Amino acid sequence: MNPAWRHPSFRVGAILMGLVLGAALLSLVWTPYDPAEMRIMARLRPPSAQNWLGTDQFGRDIASMVLVGARNALLVGFVAVGIGLVFGVALGMLAALYRGRLIDEAVMRALDFIFAFPAVLTAILILTWFGPGLVNAVVAIGIFNIPVFARQARGATLQVLAQDYIRAARLAGLSRPAVMLRHILPNITGLMIVQGSTQFAFAILAEASLSYLGIGTQPPNPSWGRMLNDAQTYLGTAPHLALVPGLAIAIAVLAFNLLGDGLRDLLDPRMKER
Amino acid sequence: MQPAKQLAKFMFLALGLAASILPAAAQNREALTLCQTLEPPILDPSGGAAAAIREVTYGNIFEGLVAYDRDGRIVPALAREWSASADGLVWQFRLRPAQFHDGSAVTAADVKFSFERAVAPDSKNAQKWIFEPIAAIATPAPDLVEITLKSFTADFLEGLAMGDATIFSPASMGKAATEPVGTGPYRFVRWQRGDRLLLERNDSWWGPKPALKSVTFRFISDPQAQVSALLAGDCDAHTNLGAHEAVAQLRADPRLAVTIGRTEGETIVAINNAKPPFSDLRVRQAMAMAVDRRLVNEGAVSGLGTPIGSHFSPNHPAYLDLTAERPVDLARARALLAAAGYPNGFAATLRLPPPAYARRGGEIVAAMLGQIGIRATIEPLEWPQWLERVFRNKDFDMTIVAHVEPLDVNIYARDSYYFGYQSPAVKEAYARTKTARGEVERREAFQKIQRQIVEDQVNLFLFMLPKITVARKGLAGLWPNWPVPANPLAELRWE
Repeated sequence: MNPAWRHPSFRVGAILMGLVLGAALLSLVWTPYDPAEMRIMARLRPPSAQNWLGTDQFGRDIASMVLVGARNALLVGFVAVGIGLVFGVALGMLAALYRGRLIDEAVMRALDFIFAFPAVLTAILILTWFGPGLVNAVVAIGIFNIPVFARQARGATLQVLAQDYIRAARLAGLSRPAVMLRHILPNITGLMIVQGSTQFAFAILAEASLSYLGIGTQPPNPSWGRMLNDAQTYLGTAPHLALVPGLAIAIAVLAFNLLGDGLRDLLDPRMKER
Repeated sequence: MQPAKQLAKFMFLALGLAASILPAAAQNREALTLCQTLEPPILDPSGGAAAAIREVTYGNIFEGLVAYDRDGRIVPALAREWSASADGLVWQFRLRPAQFHDGSAVTAADVKFSFERAVAPDSKNAQKWIFEPIAAIATPAPDLVEITLKSFTADFLEGLAMGDATIFSPASMGKAATEPVGTGPYRFVRWQRGDRLLLERNDSWWGPKPALKSVTFRFISDPQAQVSALLAGDCDAHTNLGAHEAVAQLRADPRLAVTIGRTEGETIVAINNAKPPFSDLRVRQAMAMAVDRRLVNEGAVSGLGTPIGSHFSPNHPAYLDLTAERPVDLARARALLAAAGYPNGFAATLRLPPPAYARRGGEIVAAMLGQIGIRATIEPLEWPQWLERVFRNKDFDMTIVAHVEPLDVNIYARDSYYFGYQSPAVKEAYARTKTARGEVERREAFQKIQRQIVEDQVNLFLFMLPKITVARKGLAGLWPNWPVPANPLAELRWE
C-alpha cells in the first residue's frame, strides 16, 4: 500500500477533498435543477424526493446550489492561494537572495505590515472601499496570503542557499536566476504545497465569512456563505437551510486542513526517517 | 434554635424573596417598549423624507393643526375647529389652548412661523407642495390663524394632516433635529443613537391623559433579531415586522397577537426614466412584461401584500385595478427589447436599500429580468447611501423601494424627482385633482394619472407593503393599518 494512504489525516483529507472536487466537477455537467431557477410557490420545502435537500426562500433547489457552491469555493481557493503563492514565493526568494540588503528589509517589512492586520477585518475594509463582489473579495484574501508564503519561502530559500551544492553550482558559473529556478524552487516546492493546502482552507472560510456578511459573492451567484446569510432569517422555520451550506463549508475546510497536515508529515524529510 | 422560630425566619425570608421578585414579574402597566425597524436619522419631521421620523414623532412629540386618525379620517389636533370660505380660498383655524413642552403657549404666530419656514427656499421639508398654495397667513388673534390660498386646492387640509406640517416653537428650532420640543402627549427625554429613544408622558397635554407614562422606542433592523426580541420579551410590540416568514411561528405563540394590516406603501421597481436604455418606453414595457408581481409579492413578503397595477393605494376611493394591464408575456417582452435595439438584452444595476422586501424582491426581479436578457447586477446599499446616491443624485438604473406617504402619486407630477419622469398629461391631471370642486371630478383626475403612468410604464408597480403588527397580548390600541406611518402612543394601554 502507498505509504501516503496509510497516513490517517491525509487519507480522510483526500477523501473529503475528493467529495468537494467531485461535487464541483459534477456541477459542471449536471445538477438536479438549474440552481438559479426560482419556483416561488414551492419555497422553503423540507427535503423530499423531488428536492433532496429541500428548497430555499425563493424555491431554488438547495442540492443544486450546494453543488455549484463547491465550484465557487474551489475557484476562490485556487485564485486566492495562487495570488499568494506567485507573489509570495517570488518576493520571499528575492528577499532571501539579497539577504540583509535594503531590498530584503523593504520587502519583508512591507509584508510584516500587511501581516499585522487581522485578515478578514481588513478584507471587510477593502470591500467597503472598493465595493462588494466576488472578484474584490478574492483579491483581498489573496493579498493576505502573500506575506504567509513570502516568509516561508524566504526562510526555506536561505536554508537551501547555505548548502554546498549551491556554492558548487555558483562556482560552476550558473547565474543567480538559474540557481533560483533550477535548484532552489524545486527544493522549496513541497513546503509551499503544504502551506498552500492550509491557506486554501483559510481562503474558503474567509470567502464564506465575507459572503455571509453580504460583501462577498453577490446574488444570484451561489456561495455557501451567502446561503448561510439567507438561511439565518429562516433558522426558526426552516433550519435545513442553514445546516446544508454549514456542513459543506465545514467539510471543505476540514478537507484542506487535514490534507495539509498529512502532506506536511509526508513531505517532511525528518518525518520520513521515523 | 426553636423550630417555630426557625420556621418564622424561613417564612420571613420567603416573603422577602417573593416581595423582591413580584414587582419584576408583574407587568409595569405604565411602561412600554415599542420596537420598530428603522431608526430616524433626525427627529425633525419637517427636515427629512425618512418615514421613521414620523413613525416616532407623529402625534407623539409633534402635532399639526389637524391629524389623520387610524382610519385615515381628518380629525382636530391643535386646531379645535376650522372653516373654509365658500370659494375655498380662505381657511380659518381656531387654536385650542395648548402648550409646548418648554411651557410656552401655542399661538397663531407659531403656526405662521412653522408654515413659512416649511416653504422657505432653504427648507428641507419633503412635502413642500402642502404649503406652496399658501398666499398669505394672517394672525388676527393669538388663537386664530387665517390662511389665504393662491387658488382653490382640494387637498389642502389633507396636506396639513401630514407629519410634515407640524407646529414648532421658534425658540426651540435650533435643536429640533436632536432634542425636539413639540406640543404632543409625549415629550422627548433621551436618545441613544443606534439603539433606543425614550419618551415620557406630557402631563400638560390638552387631550385626555394617556395610559402609558414612559415609552421606549427600540430600533432593530435585522428581521431575525426582531423575532428574537419579541420572543425574549425585549419588545412589547413591533410596529411593522420585517420577518414575514416568521408570521406563522409568532402566531403560534400564545403570548403574542399578530395583526396583518395595510400600509400606504406602494412598493415599486423604480426605473431611471432619464437614462438610456430605460428612457425608451419599449424597454420599460418589456420589463413590465417580464416581472410577475404576484410572484414577487409571494417571495418578497410571503404573499401578505396586495398586488397593485399602478402607483395608487386600493384603500383610496379613486383606486383603479390595473393589475391586468400588460400581463406577463416573455415572448412579447423579448420582441419589444429587440425592437428597441437590444436583441441580446443589456446589463444594468439594481441598487437595493436594506429592507427585506427590497433585498428579497430584488433577487426575484433580477431573475425575472434575466429571462428576457436584462442582466441586472445587484448592489446592496445602506439607507444613507441609498438616499444620497439613488434618491438625491439619481445615480442608478433600477431600485426597489416602498413609497409610504398617503396619496403620494403627486411624485409623478414633480419636475425633478429621482426616477426622472416628465409628463405634461400627468401634471395637468394632477393640477385638476387640486382644483376639482367635486369628488367625482377629483376621482376622474386621479384615475387619469393612474392610467397614464401605466401607459408610460414609468416604474414597475408591485404591491402594497403589508403592516405586520406583533404585540404582547393585553396591549391594546396599536394601529392595525398605516394610513400614515405613525404610532400614536396616547391611544395605547395595557388591559
